[in-house]
Amino acid sequence: MAPRQDEFDDEIRGHMALSMKERIDRGEDPKAARLAALKEFGNVTLTRDSIRAVWRPRWFDAIDSMVHDVRIALRSLMRARGLAITVAATLALGIGANAAIFSVVRQVLLRPLVNRDEDRLIYIRQSAPGHNVANTTFSVPEIEDFKARATTIAAFGDFSTIEFTMVGLGEPRVVQSGVVSGSYFDVMGLRPVLGRLINAGDDGPKADGVAVLTYRFWSTALNRDAGLIGRKIRLGSRPATVIGVLEPSVPYPADTEIIANVVTSPHHLDATMVTQRTHRMTELFGRLAPGATIDDARAELVAVHAAMVREHPDAYSPKADVHLTVKPLRDQITAPARTILLLLLASAAVVFVIACSNVTNLILARTVRREGELAVRAALGAGTHALRRTLLAESLVLCGTGAVLGVLLARPLVSVVGRYAARFSVRALDVTVDPSLLWVGAGLAVLAAVVLAYVPRLPSSHAPGGLATGGLRITAGTNRRLRLFAVTQIALSFVLLAGAGMILSALVALQHAHTSFDTRQVLAIDVPLSLESFGPKSVAFFEEATRRIATLPGVERVAAGNYVPWRDGGSTFGGTVPFAVEGYTPADGEADPRARLRNVTPGFFAALGVPLVAGRDFTDEDKAKSELVVVVSQSVAQRLFPNGDALNRHMWWTDPYFGKPAPRRIVGIAADVDDVEVAPKSALTIYHPLRQFPFAGRLFVHTSGDPYALVSPVTRVIREISADQPVERAATLADVRAQVLAPERLNAFVFSGFAGIALLIAIVGVAGVLAFSVSARTREFGVRLAIGSAPRHLLARVLSEGVWIAAIGIGAGVLTAYAFGVVAASYLDQMQLPNAAAVLGAAAVLMSAAVVASLMPAARASRVDVLQALRSE
Amino acid sequence: MPKNPDDRRLELLQGTLDMLILRTLQWGPQHGHGIGQAIRAQSDDLLRVETGSLYPALHRLEKHGWLSAEWGVSEANQRAKYYRLTAAGRAQLSREQDRWSQLVTAIGRIMNPAPAGNPGSEE
Repeated sequence: MAPRQDEFDDEIRGHMALSMKERIDRGEDPKAARLAALKEFGNVTLTRDSIRAVWRPRWFDAIDSMVHDVRIALRSLMRARGLAITVAATLALGIGANAAIFSVVRQVLLRPLVNRDEDRLIYIRQSAPGHNVANTTFSVPEIEDFKARATTIAAFGDFSTIEFTMVGLGEPRVVQSGVVSGSYFDVMGLRPVLGRLINAGDDGPKADGVAVLTYRFWSTALNRDAGLIGRKIRLGSRPATVIGVLEPSVPYPADTEIIANVVTSPHHLDATMVTQRTHRMTELFGRLAPGATIDDARAELVAVHAAMVREHPDAYSPKADVHLTVKPLRDQITAPARTILLLLLASAAVVFVIACSNVTNLILARTVRREGELAVRAALGAGTHALRRTLLAESLVLCGTGAVLGVLLARPLVSVVGRYAARFSVRALDVTVDPSLLWVGAGLAVLAAVVLAYVPRLPSSHAPGGLATGGLRITAGTNRRLRLFAVTQIALSFVLLAGAGMILSALVALQHAHTSFDTRQVLAIDVPLSLESFGPKSVAFFEEATRRIATLPGVERVAAGNYVPWRDGGSTFGGTVPFAVEGYTPADGEADPRARLRNVTPGFFAALGVPLVAGRDFTDEDKAKSELVVVVSQSVAQRLFPNGDALNRHMWWTDPYFGKPAPRRIVGIAADVDDVEVAPKSALTIYHPLRQFPFAGRLFVHTSGDPYALVSPVTRVIREISADQPVERAATLADVRAQVLAPERLNAFVFSGFAGIALLIAIVGVAGVLAFSVSARTREFGVRLAIGSAPRHLLARVLSEGVWIAAIGIGAGVLTAYAFGVVAASYLDQMQLPNAAAVLGAAAVLMSAAVVASLMPAARASRVDVLQALRSE
Repeated sequence: MPKNPDDRRLELLQGTLDMLILRTLQWGPQHGHGIGQAIRAQSDDLLRVETGSLYPALHRLEKHGWLSAEWGVSEANQRAKYYRLTAAGRAQLSREQDRWSQLVTAIGRIMNPAPAGNPGSEE
């Protein structure tokens, strides 16, 4: 539509020719005619430009004038470099933190799973709140009932986790394996990247053993070797063939190395597994039938479950209060991370508000300083619109720089936050930087820019005096606004500091909690035996191993057991078992007491440094066939034998698993230890001699020197006894505990990071406000000094101003934190209100920060040169 | 204001150039130079249009769709762009002409008030 550029030139050339011809026709000399025509035409370039301008689209002009504005903005910001850098850095922190956390939240909570039609995929869970069991899982008879009765579920998939000693892929090692039936992968909607997955043909006791490698195991431990398909391996005592590699997907309910069919696990085929309704170890998934909604499915499954409970009262104790929950698989997977990520998001938002209010303050102060400049420009004809545009251009440049820096900063932050969130949700394992980061960054920058451009007051054409004032005048309104923003920063920083303080004090309490164990010198080693070798053979193995290890140099004591404190908290032995004692009848309706069950060899208590309070330790005479004996923890003795006569009385387990009650005599009382919770709480524990309860897989070595120096000698000794025996995860109890505490430590680290950033920004904010207020009042200070004020009075004056701002901010912060805590407590179960130490600590930190921030401006006020100050107007 | 008192040339009133161009083209297609000459000749040499204003104006009118343009060969045997009045241009011309005569009437009434008692006089 628009003519081409060279047409403009053609048209002008045509005009010249006509103009010349006309003159020549009139009889002028051709040379003179040409000059006259040129002269008459005037400025050719200018004309061509004006023609071009006619055809230019509107947005071109808009961009052109913006480029112009931005150039001016750059120039004026170069003159205020310190301010520009502070503003850009502050914004970068705010934007970077938000963009990174938003990016993680989006990918962990909002991204769909890779599973086909993942919105039709549900997770079914049975729980027993009465026994404090969040997930009882299901037994095979229960699953059969669901399969037979439910119509809203097209197909069920089941998954149980079991450990195998795997031989044939690298070193012999214990692997976590899923055991699934043929419907599992189809229900989950997962595909293989290599080979095939387990299907209905692999079901039943007659099928051949097959195993699928998970993508993580295949790619990290097996070098993505495609030649592994078809490889024969051994799982425990059974043979199996590797048939495929699973696509990368969220490992739920367990992050296993392989997934095998039922025939590989003898346990899955025996009568206990197949017929016992209380033998629960299987997780259950379902795919909604066409047309059914999750609500239909929930209603139906809960009804089926209720019928099941009615039909089998023996399998569902009324005290257990069993419940069924049905939810989309994605919700189930993301649930643990939701709380922590939303908290992080809230903290990032608070940091952003602090950053914005700080930047607003700096910009506001700058605008007041340049009121003169703006007044001159207004007087020269710049409209309000044009002035706003200049301010907007400046803030866009600042915020744009901040956003670019922020996004750059966000990239490493994403991986840090992702690794952090991975402790709560497996989905965060593969979080990457995604483009949403850029949009969030850009959006926040524009938001900040608009706020910044509209905060300063413009010189109004009605208010005279803008030009007349030579010096700086702060209006009361501006001063109020500056203070308001400073108070906001202090208040919000207080909220973050108090929160971080709370988390930190909880961590410190945990780290210094007394454990009763001699944690530094005890090395714990997993020596997992395969299921078949439990029983007398395992006792013989561990007795032989402890005997040989005890002779190694540097070993003081050695013992075997079934449970590594804290680390094995997730295993079966992390739970409790009901029991009864002679002479104690639970009141009517009261449940049996429950205790932890431990199997240990003689010398265990000495090796771990747990003192025996009364009675004796186990000896080699406590054999399988001799009298059954136990050692109980002090709490058991005190709670159930208030008269102090626990010794020589009897206890027996009441769980049906133990069959007919077998009384065991209490021969010893050990000090209380809590080996499940890192924050010591209850400690009802009952110990068996390993010979009478032959089930173990852990070694404890108490050393005199460096415990880790013993790892390879111990491994050598064990391999001498059994060449294929895996020896794993050697660590001192102190390190085990530190490992378990790692999430708490990370929490503390991340939230302290946020609080630190907030504090830094708040200090800059308070210092900025006071510096501005001091420089604006140079004359006032000059007058004060001239009439005899001592410099230290001025110093105290400015300091007290800073203290006041901080005090008001802290007051507001206490209210905000309290309100925030109350709101948060209604959403989060484990939310506690900050304790006094955290509140006082945060207040003290902020107050001293405010004093430090006020010192520089205060010192400047006290050093004002009287003569110069008085002449400054 | 003319610099030279002898110079009887007039400054074009703001906003009238478009109307003059449209009017000139009523008699048929013409190139830029021709339009300038026509305005000059018809105003008895009182009005002269600067090329710096004329060409941007022509292009503006073309962009609005009031003029259409095509390339031809001029009397000087050179390529030249000929402008032609479109139907929309004709309508625009009559609108501008109306507004112009209203303006002239209004200004005329103020500058040369009619004698009292004869309010309906023509200009």
